Amino acid sequence: MVDLSQYLPILIFLGIALALSCLFVFLPMGVSRLTGSHNPTAEKLSEYECGFPAFEDPRSQFDVNFYLIAILFIIFDLEAAFLFPWAVSLDLTGWPGWITMMIFLFELIVGFAYAWKKGALEWE
Amino acid sequence: MLQTIAFYLFATLVVASAVMVIMSRNPVHSVLWLILSFFNAAGLMVLVGAEFIAMLLVIVYVGAVAVLFLFVVMMLDIDFASMRAGFVRNAPLGIAIALVLLAELVLGIGAYRAGALILGTPDGTAAPLLFESNIESIGALLYSRYLFLFESAGIILLVAMIGAIVLTHRERPAAHRRAHQDIGKQVRRNPKEATFNASPEIGKGIDL
Amino acid sequence: MDFGNYLALIAPELLISISGLVLLLVAAWVGDSAARPISILAALVLGVACFMVGPALFDGASGPDTNAFAGQFRADGFAAFAKMLIYLSGIACLMIAPAFFERLGAMRAEYPILILFSVLGTGIMVSSGNLITLYIGLELNSLAAYVLASFLRNDGRSAEAGLKYFILGALASGILLYGMSLVYGFTGTTDFTLIRAAMTLELSTGALFGLIFVLAGLAFKIAAVPFHMWTPDVYEGAPTPVTTFFASAPKVAAVALTVRVSLDAFGLQADAWRQIVIFAALASIVLGALGAIGQDNLKRLLAYSSINNVGFILIGLAAGTPQGASAVLVYLAIYVVMTIGSFVAILMLRDADGNYVENIRDIAGLSRAKPLIALILAGMMLSLAGLPPMFGFWGKFVVFQAAVQADLILLAALGIAASVIGAFYYLKVVKVMFFDEPAGVVQGRSETGHWVLLIGTAIIVSPLGYLLTIPLGLLADRAAVSLSLLP
Repeated sequence: MVDLSQYLPILIFLGIALALSCLFVFLPMGVSRLTGSHNPTAEKLSEYECGFPAFEDPRSQFDVNFYLIAILFIIFDLEAAFLFPWAVSLDLTGWPGWITMMIFLFELIVGFAYAWKKGALEWE
Repeated sequence: MLQTIAFYLFATLVVASAVMVIMSRNPVHSVLWLILSFFNAAGLMVLVGAEFIAMLLVIVYVGAVAVLFLFVVMMLDIDFASMRAGFVRNAPLGIAIALVLLAELVLGIGAYRAGALILGTPDGTAAPLLFESNIESIGALLYSRYLFLFESAGIILLVAMIGAIVLTHRERPAAHRRAHQDIGKQVRRNPKEATFNASPEIGKGIDL
Repeated sequence: MDFGNYLALIAPELLISISGLVLLLVAAWVGDSAARPISILAALVLGVACFMVGPALFDGASGPDTNAFAGQFRADGFAAFAKMLIYLSGIACLMIAPAFFERLGAMRAEYPILILFSVLGTGIMVSSGNLITLYIGLELNSLAAYVLASFLRNDGRSAEAGLKYFILGALASGILLYGMSLVYGFTGTTDFTLIRAAMTLELSTGALFGLIFVLAGLAFKIAAVPFHMWTPDVYEGAPTPVTTFFASAPKVAAVALTVRVSLDAFGLQADAWRQIVIFAALASIVLGALGAIGQDNLKRLLAYSSINNVGFILIGLAAGTPQGASAVLVYLAIYVVMTIGSFVAILMLRDADGNYVENIRDIAGLSRAKPLIALILAGMMLSLAGLPPMFGFWGKFVVFQAAVQADLILLAALGIAASVIGAFYYLKVVKVMFFDEPAGVVQGRSETGHWVLLIGTAIIVSPLGYLLTIPLGLLADRAAVSLSLLP
């Protein structure tokens, strides 16, 4: 078990974030309820001109390109995740560690160049 | 004390949300419960002192994998109601398999408790290599001792990229491709080249 | 750390990965029109890699000098033997592919690159001296293989094969990882040598569970019963050149890996895994033979044949001796030649419209339309059945010999008895080709490259192959000894 007190700032941060977001949501609702008149009808609650119907089956066929972009995102996300331990331990690993990461990045840059040239990053 | 409370909080939430993943009727809700489960698993990782794994869980699983799950669930458009229709019919088989798995689990844990445990060899390579934090220890090992495996993992990521492109990317025929924007050409245009006067006869158009 | 030595030891891997990266960029810039030149270049790269592993193979390199990266990677004679087979079968799969895919209008420059990376993964597998290396090599190979299986993405069967292979493969990876985590937890190390040391005295129950899960995950990769279900579907659905690849390079790698893990890491606990291997061996032989009987698709038939052959290979492993390991290597070498020959022969059968013939009814009376292909295919079938004049007999012979010398006489007897069942369907194919009324389906000419491969493999499989027994046996013995099995 670790000393949890070092996570106190994060906890406080989360608490403040939660409180603020609650405030932003409920304060306008409460203020408008208290100050204005409140008599909704079905027409008033429906989406007006812009906006999607709020409740419908979310499963609709959509372009496989979304999937391709998501996969590419995961790959580069993982690549970025490997940079963190590398950055904090560079004083321990030295030049070999630096070269190792450069080779790793080069492998993925080759992949990136391939994806770019193939047009996988273009959106039609 | 605080750790204990936090542990039970996270553990209960992991189990509860994992149950909800398989219980909820809407697959999109399942994915959202899965995300909650990942978050709490990350909390558990923090408790055992594995901050790097916790961070990976949040960044990779919550940030990327769960999004991909959502895409797939939405893209497949499976009628889950019809899939559940066979549930009653297959239930006896399912229960039998569950019992076998339970027996295995009990046996495994029982054997684990009874057997003489020699955890780890004194001269094993897994000797704790403690620097300031475990993220630093991971880095110190991953980029020196295990660098060959690290580079191979890079190749795996590259193959995943090639595979995704090979399987899903379709080259559009040139006619359908959007015209390429050449900013230099746009800037170089001047009114003399871009416009011209024409006086067409009545009832006739002009060729552009 | 002495990086210079390490780089020399991983030279074949370095060569393959660097050329893979370069060819990938070429593929991106030049496009699919360069698919054929890239295939030729990739085959050349694998040819050079063959020469690179040659010295280790002929010297039977062993000992600490062959360990790179703190024992994670081993470039010993055993790995060199397996790599030689892998590279050669990779070259064969690169040779047969362009004609096949071009006819379907689906040749893309990524095919040779994916083959290269898959071969790289298999090379890492056979060289692994650490559970993590094992897993990385396996995943590199599998990931490329999943994509290759559904390479004809507009073909429903190919896409289905890829999906099935991927889902079941991911499940097997999960089982393997679970086993590895148990082994790591109970021995405290992932290094094969240290696991061996930690398992010297007695095997704790947890480690036993880990061992079983690891073997189950590997059994999936070599398609041994009861983890064989994916094989017929994947072999049938995948494009034929890719099926040829699946049946050769990854199979060699997975078998070699299983041998190394069983004899090296778990070598002192042979009694713990011997029963499992014996069961898988007999079940594979029997099920492979029985399953094949009702098939009328030639690729499905060969899939069951590969399950059947894996059973015989496992008999050699069950012996658990250096001689058994050597028998496994000899069998693998012969098996790879037979399987490539059979698939190439099937690739050469096309109907009047240029479609590929896969149904057994369509090759009825092939001996009259294409006498040479029919003759060679018949030879391959007889050899797969292990009938004496053909070279395939020798593989079965050495395996049984190893089993008998390890006092597994009953296992050897059962194996020989079960191989009789297998002979039935091989003979059925021969009968259909030679004695049935001609179906008149097969027509058209075949490519020179296919002929070269077909005749080359046919010569090795024919009784002339027995000239190879002494050098092959010598190399396999040296390779097996380099596993350093001494307790």
